[in-house]
Amino acid sequence: MSGTPSVSQLVDAVRLFLAEAETELSGRLAFHAKVAGNALAIVTRELAASPEPAERAALTALTGHDGPTAELRHELCERLRDGRANAQTPGLVDALYAAAVAQVAVDNPRYATFKRATGA
Amino acid sequence: MALDIKPDALAAVLARTTGTDVQVTRIDALSGGASSATFAVKASKDGADWPLIMQCSAAGEPAPGAMAKRTQARLQEVARKAGLPVAETVAILEAEDGLGDGFVMTRIDGESLAPRYLRLPEYAAAREAMTAQCATALARLHALPRSAFDGLPLTGGSPQALLAKSFAAYRNFGIELPAYDLAFAWLKERLPDTEPTALVHGDFRSGNFIVGTDGLRAILDWELGHFGDPLEDMGWLCGNAWRFGNWQKPVGGFGEREALYAAYEAAGGAKVDRDAVHIWEVWGTLRWGMSCVMLVSDHLSGRVPSVERATIGRRISENELDLLYLFKHGSI
Repeated sequence: MSGTPSVSQLVDAVRLFLAEAETELSGRLAFHAKVAGNALAIVTRELAASPEPAERAALTALTGHDGPTAELRHELCERLRDGRANAQTPGLVDALYAAAVAQVAVDNPRYATFKRATGA
Repeated sequence: MALDIKPDALAAVLARTTGTDVQVTRIDALSGGASSATFAVKASKDGADWPLIMQCSAAGEPAPGAMAKRTQARLQEVARKAGLPVAETVAILEAEDGLGDGFVMTRIDGESLAPRYLRLPEYAAAREAMTAQCATALARLHALPRSAFDGLPLTGGSPQALLAKSFAAYRNFGIELPAYDLAFAWLKERLPDTEPTALVHGDFRSGNFIVGTDGLRAILDWELGHFGDPLEDMGWLCGNAWRFGNWQKPVGGFGEREALYAAYEAAGGAKVDRDAVHIWEVWGTLRWGMSCVMLVSDHLSGRVPSVERATIGRRISENELDLLYLFKHGSI
């Protein structure tokens, strides 16, 4: 405990402020305060656990080699566009599914399909 | 500009279209998007309260590629006269009114927020009734002959053309989402390449209905109406996003697929091909996913800087997961 708030503690403080401000607002501004709070909750979750390693692991398994995530993603998309890969490609749907679950865990863990997928 | 319409100017238009004395005391903005704006109009006719809704093209004239409000009004009237629950158009703004592109319709009482009518106990009977009501409305709409829309500048095309247009838009954004590419390729192999057979609403879903305790009272948002495949409306209605968390009820968060299909067929609709309508559900999931991409691009490009548009970009992953769930489990 250094007495200096961490980035995630600062974000959380702003999120608490927005929740308080929302009660004083109405209409469009109240709605945007709520959305802004949700955005900060995403930031907090991503700071705690980035979903990127899960995506990179999935793409590495599917392309057969490691590399920067954006390049691996591009390579897989090209394969899907020219028909070298499709929904029948062994392991493809399962690997992308695992990466999507990791991403939604950050973006919106209350989402119904996330709960169905994880049994939460 | 539509936003500058004064109560007296609107009262004069309403007096012209109704042939009677109309007073307008207030015009309040309800919601505004990039292309259209909606207003609550406080009016009285012959001394009695007459609550109205006005919709206008945001820039005064329709955005390129968007349906004109004056066309939407006429389309809604065709649907209403065919027996669908639709608000009655009471005035269309004409060029000589000098008020831009817009129309005025009656305001229908009820709940338009889907999470409320999908959860509150007082809407239990409404939820029971809505599957058959939606099926009947769609059957009536899809049964209308092309001649019913003579004179209306409506677009249309084959399902494959619809898909190609969406894929081109996806590639234009310069983003790469493997789940979307997977779905585009899957749909390219399966969507028909047939010419349109019916007028489809294009956005027929929970969130675009006004619901009373007795069920469906009005179908809103006709600006995406086009000639296409009737199953497009059926698949879209069953999209996971429009269940608002009630995923066990695939029809709009309130009903079962088989009940929808049976009621549609009983109301005179064509026999529903179960495999074909599933393909349209996959299309609907990808289509909502593409809407998220377009909405976040409004923010990222600086066109419409907004925390709401920015955050919707983090709903792209919900659609990726839904698409992959569909491919993994066969249904969602």
